[in-house]
Amino acid sequence: MNDYDNIWLHRLKWTYLLLVVLTLMTPVMYVMYVSFNQNGFGANEYVFTWEWYGLIFSDELLIGALRWTLMLAVVVTVITVPMALLAAKYYKAADNKLFPVFLLLAPLFVPPDILGSALLVFFKNLNFALIWLGDQIGTSLFDSWFRLSFLTATIGLIIYTIPYSFVVILITMGRYRKEQTEAARACGANGWRAFWDIEFPQIRAGVFSACAFTVILVFNEYTRTSLLKGGFDTFTTVLISQMLNTGMSPQSYAMSAMVSFVAIAVIGSIILFTMIRAESLSRTARAKAEPVMS
Amino acid sequence: MTNGTQPMTDQTAPAVEVRNLSKHYGDFVALKNVNVTIAAGEYFVLLGPSGGGKTTLLRTIGGFHKPTKGEILLHGKSVGHLPPDKRPTTMVFQAYALFPHMTVTQNVGYGLKVAGLPKDQIVEKVDYALEQVGLSQFTHRKPHELSGGQQQRVQLARAIVLDRDILLLDEPLAALDAQLRKDMCLELKHLQEKVGITFIHVTHNQEEAMTVADRIALIANGDLVEFGKARDIYRAPEKSFTASFVGENNMLKGRVAEANGSSVTVDVAGSKLTVDKRGLNVTDGQEVNLSIRSECVALDRVNGTNAPADGLSILGTYDESVYLGLTTSHMARLPDGTEMVSRVISDTDDTLPEANAPVRLSWKPGDIRLHVE
Amino acid sequence: MADLSSSAGGAVPAGTDKTPWRERLAPWAFRAPLIFMVAFFAIPMAMTVVFSVFERTMFWMEPGFTLFSYENFFFSARLTNFLNSMKYSLISVAICFVFGFPIAVFVRKSIPEVAQHRVVLLFILPFMVSEIIRVFALRPVLQRNGLVNTTLMDLGIIDEPITALLYTHTGVVIGEVLSFLPFIVFSGFLAMEAVPKYIFEVCDDLGVGPWRRFVDVILPLAAPGIFAGSVFIFVNGLGVALLPNILGGAGAVNAGLIATQAITALDFPLAMAVSAIMMATLTTLLWIGHKLFDLTKILTPLS
Repeated sequence: MNDYDNIWLHRLKWTYLLLVVLTLMTPVMYVMYVSFNQNGFGANEYVFTWEWYGLIFSDELLIGALRWTLMLAVVVTVITVPMALLAAKYYKAADNKLFPVFLLLAPLFVPPDILGSALLVFFKNLNFALIWLGDQIGTSLFDSWFRLSFLTATIGLIIYTIPYSFVVILITMGRYRKEQTEAARACGANGWRAFWDIEFPQIRAGVFSACAFTVILVFNEYTRTSLLKGGFDTFTTVLISQMLNTGMSPQSYAMSAMVSFVAIAVIGSIILFTMIRAESLSRTARAKAEPVMS
Repeated sequence: MTNGTQPMTDQTAPAVEVRNLSKHYGDFVALKNVNVTIAAGEYFVLLGPSGGGKTTLLRTIGGFHKPTKGEILLHGKSVGHLPPDKRPTTMVFQAYALFPHMTVTQNVGYGLKVAGLPKDQIVEKVDYALEQVGLSQFTHRKPHELSGGQQQRVQLARAIVLDRDILLLDEPLAALDAQLRKDMCLELKHLQEKVGITFIHVTHNQEEAMTVADRIALIANGDLVEFGKARDIYRAPEKSFTASFVGENNMLKGRVAEANGSSVTVDVAGSKLTVDKRGLNVTDGQEVNLSIRSECVALDRVNGTNAPADGLSILGTYDESVYLGLTTSHMARLPDGTEMVSRVISDTDDTLPEANAPVRLSWKPGDIRLHVE
Repeated sequence: MADLSSSAGGAVPAGTDKTPWRERLAPWAFRAPLIFMVAFFAIPMAMTVVFSVFERTMFWMEPGFTLFSYENFFFSARLTNFLNSMKYSLISVAICFVFGFPIAVFVRKSIPEVAQHRVVLLFILPFMVSEIIRVFALRPVLQRNGLVNTTLMDLGIIDEPITALLYTHTGVVIGEVLSFLPFIVFSGFLAMEAVPKYIFEVCDDLGVGPWRRFVDVILPLAAPGIFAGSVFIFVNGLGVALLPNILGGAGAVNAGLIATQAITALDFPLAMAVSAIMMATLTTLLWIGHKLFDLTKILTPLS
């Protein structure tokens, strides 16, 4: 904001921005609101309670689903983030950037149902092909490779989450100067050591944000997971089947509210952490830089 | 971090030997067939306009670029495609190359840590290196808390602490302001004399090059144009490019009128000038270039009667003068439109010739040089 | 790679002839993500075309060539529904742009650089809850006696509840705007990187008003990012099934819903035909965009 700008206009714009965020958040807050209601969703009377949160852990269906979801989230994150990191490094060094960019960002543009259906049919056909191949050479070794399972769901979710991780990591890498890697090499460090000692500490924030993003995206994803998952249920698929059949149980509201509380807390602390860090860094920099005479 | 047990150095071999080196980026030729030899313990400068290929040459020596053709020998051993960390070289970069998340001490000690030296040795060596660059009191600062000059000193310390025999400097002073650059130049020179290792320094600034260099190589358009001692490059440039890039030379185009014995007569804008042949091959009617440094040109008013054609002067019209403090440059125009400059110490308050007044520009026999390429 | 030929000119010392396995493997490690994406993303998406011409069987499909699925799509109500969803998707894009893009401009122009990313990060907060729960929670907000209607009636702005808010195309558009608006903020924010801050000062200096500044300067510079964001919203408006499924009424059927319905009905070739048509739409749009604006520019601030 400049000295001559209208302060009230500036505030008005801020108000508008926050209002939009608030509007987008309405459904989230509504879920949180319902989760504390003794009488559950749709009741006329509102009685505040913690009860449903206590009951989360007695709902075996939810707990089972939560376990699957967590496992899926961890596995997907452990694969996606290093892949996105490798891809970002590759992109940085590539002469032809169009191909990697297209390949890595295109999943953003493919709607969930389309990606889910395409992968579903692809995996099923791949599975049939492998079974046929196994029959030809007399082995049943490949029979279950691409049967709908944890593996296929993982692949689908990696494709879904990799563009986000890629972009987040690329943004943090933008501030990194490659001269530092070269300097490390000139100091005798090999490529891996230079990355680990010099570059990684500087892009760590981006890598961790990518991890947080991936976990949250996997946690909340419904379409792709439900199409590709095979036998097990994840947290969101349980909620949806409840929604579409019997209506969500109050503990489900509590559960999704809790998930969003945790997620908001994670993102909130990332924001706060970076803000405080930047502030203190610049303060110490100012304090230390002042007496320098060179 | 040269390997202590197995000597990588052959004391008789030159520190760096570049043979027929070419580097292409697709269709773009960054270096074409460069040959150069740099002796051990020498302060060698690669000088040239930006984009000329000098940084490419330096970085290829350092192992950051792979040569397209040719080879590089360090202390008589071909380094082939060894990565930078396996070469007896280390490098100082233009800027931004300090590790921002480490303190000065950690930055300087990083290479030793990678080499696996014991802690107490690292501390000792780092302290000594920082002392040499005059940064002992800043050990716990982070790079962003240092000035540009201090940052470059940390880079220097980080490089010399490794005890490697060849230090590559890629425009190390380019990001500094003029005064600081002058001071740091001398410091670099003294540091090199103290540590005694080979310095190879890339710069586009000729004053910087003159200050530090034992020898200078001129590089432009991917070619190594000429190399020699700083004084020779300045006073007796071989190629016309060198003359136009180093110092403030007047470049005159002319045609050979007569080549006889050890001197040549060249026709420049209607005047016949005599110039030493320097053993070059010239034929009558050939187009040649002449160069003469502006401080060797004297400018006199012409009053109709003088101006004999002695072969060491030319007539023109006065243009204007530019006062530069220590010196004043007088500009004159020859009949063919070429501009000539005469630079003199600004110690007279003589009235200047008015614009378009006829003037005579003259010089001593040894000052004008012939270039035939 | 060009570098492979580089050893031809010089004598390479014996030590480097056998490159250690680690160094030979490293370039492939960096390509692994791309290989993965080709194998499990590009190929499956391309295969939709092949599978879409397979013959439908009772529970699955068998190799063959028939255009039955395409007939089934183009000569039925599905085409009308698809074109309709395109129209409403375009409306959503326009609304998102009008509401969202000024935010991106405001953040870039008037908020200190260090805080910009954090302000933009505010817009990912809604994604902390599963999209489907968010969309589902819109029902009690939009329904006949829902939050919007009761508030408006309490304020005396309307007498009758507006029933058109839910189970209609309007409902779907509202859902799309609330789901996708953040994306125009993100892409707009990235796009505004192409508009240096001094542009605003230059415009002030030249006496260019906000409207002309927007049309003549900001829009052309930020076009690649705006286009990418718009394509994203448009295609997702066509392809996200749960929006029309939960918020739409009769006739509100988009491509995503057609595909999932086909899968539920075990008509896999039809689902593949719909996917192929969607991929063709997307590719065409991106291709046009790339020809017009060079979409790689969006990522220049990152490289």
